[in-house]
Amino acid sequence: MDNAGRESDYMKQKDQLKTLIPTLRERKRYISFQIISESPIQYSDLEAAVWNELLDFYGESGVSKLSFRLVKNLYSDAKQIGVIKCNNRSVPVVIAALGLISRLGDTRITIKILKVSGTIKSLKL
Amino acid sequence: MQFFDLHVHSAFSGGESSIEQLATRAKQLGYSGICFAEYFKNENQIKELKEEIQKVEEKAGIEIFLGFEARNVKELNYLAKIRRRFDILLARGGDLKMNKEACETPEVDILTHPEYERRDQGLNHVLVKEAAKNNVDIEVNFREILMASKKTRANVMSNIAKNIKLARKYNAEIVICSGAISEWELRDPIVLSSFGNLLGLELDTAEEAIGKNAGKIVEEIKKRKSEKWIMPGVKVIT
Repeated sequence: MDNAGRESDYMKQKDQLKTLIPTLRERKRYISFQIISESPIQYSDLEAAVWNELLDFYGESGVSKLSFRLVKNLYSDAKQIGVIKCNNRSVPVVIAALGLISRLGDTRITIKILKVSGTIKSLKL
Repeated sequence: MQFFDLHVHSAFSGGESSIEQLATRAKQLGYSGICFAEYFKNENQIKELKEEIQKVEEKAGIEIFLGFEARNVKELNYLAKIRRRFDILLARGGDLKMNKEACETPEVDILTHPEYERRDQGLNHVLVKEAAKNNVDIEVNFREILMASKKTRANVMSNIAKNIKLARKYNAEIVICSGAISEWELRDPIVLSSFGNLLGLELDTAEEAIGKNAGKIVEEIKKRKSEKWIMPGVKVIT
């Protein structure tokens, strides 16, 4: 069996793409932040607010360039700490939009940026 | 880098939060100092505010400065005369006469939101040159953007970006302030510098606008408090 055939079998088995070589991969950044709020914030409320703010402020085209993702499994309800993943060029763009979120429903909030890093490990959550 | 927010209103001048609440939140967000820009009522107010600030400063563990924001030319001229009695003199921009007077008055430290409630940017090359000559910093006010939405926000941001471009061309200093009237309107310094970056400043220049440029004003305050200080650039040496 030739190489192309072997790769295609591999993809069928795992249902995922072969990892890109490092030079073709997009450089990513993780932004950890803490929510200072009047009352505790649920992940779902935060996710809706962040996406709405990004789409309102930058539009669909703008957000498509950010490679934005709110990392669900790293959100801590107790500490009110969350992590955002985006590409390395969009860090100030994402942080600026976070600053425009002043309310989640009736709860007033302020977001404090804890750290920006290239790996989750070095965020030291 | 040390960060300073030099334009915050407390409950003394129509704000929603007390000096203590604002100072505690500023400390939590990572500021080294904060300046309360109050509206001037009478001379007794200065003493009252100074006492309150001294109490809170020890409790909150953050440098607090007392500033006054002049709302019209008459008030600006009066505050310029009693300049030594408080730390920072801000001039409320927006009105063309006020923008002009502020840029031409060396006693003024910061011209706040020159584009406030205007269709144009409120500054031109002549005024910015004057501001640079008289060491008047041009403010980028975050609250103005925060409180606006859609079309208004787009216009405000466009005017601020034009002012930033002018200020950079003529070497006038820029400071980014939250302009908060409540503890919930205070923003992390990283958020403010990111916004500066979005408005046309490089990231390090935007950080300087909250750190180094604001720090220069703070240094000037400390010099001014010395008995040997006479006026900017003049002090008793012996």
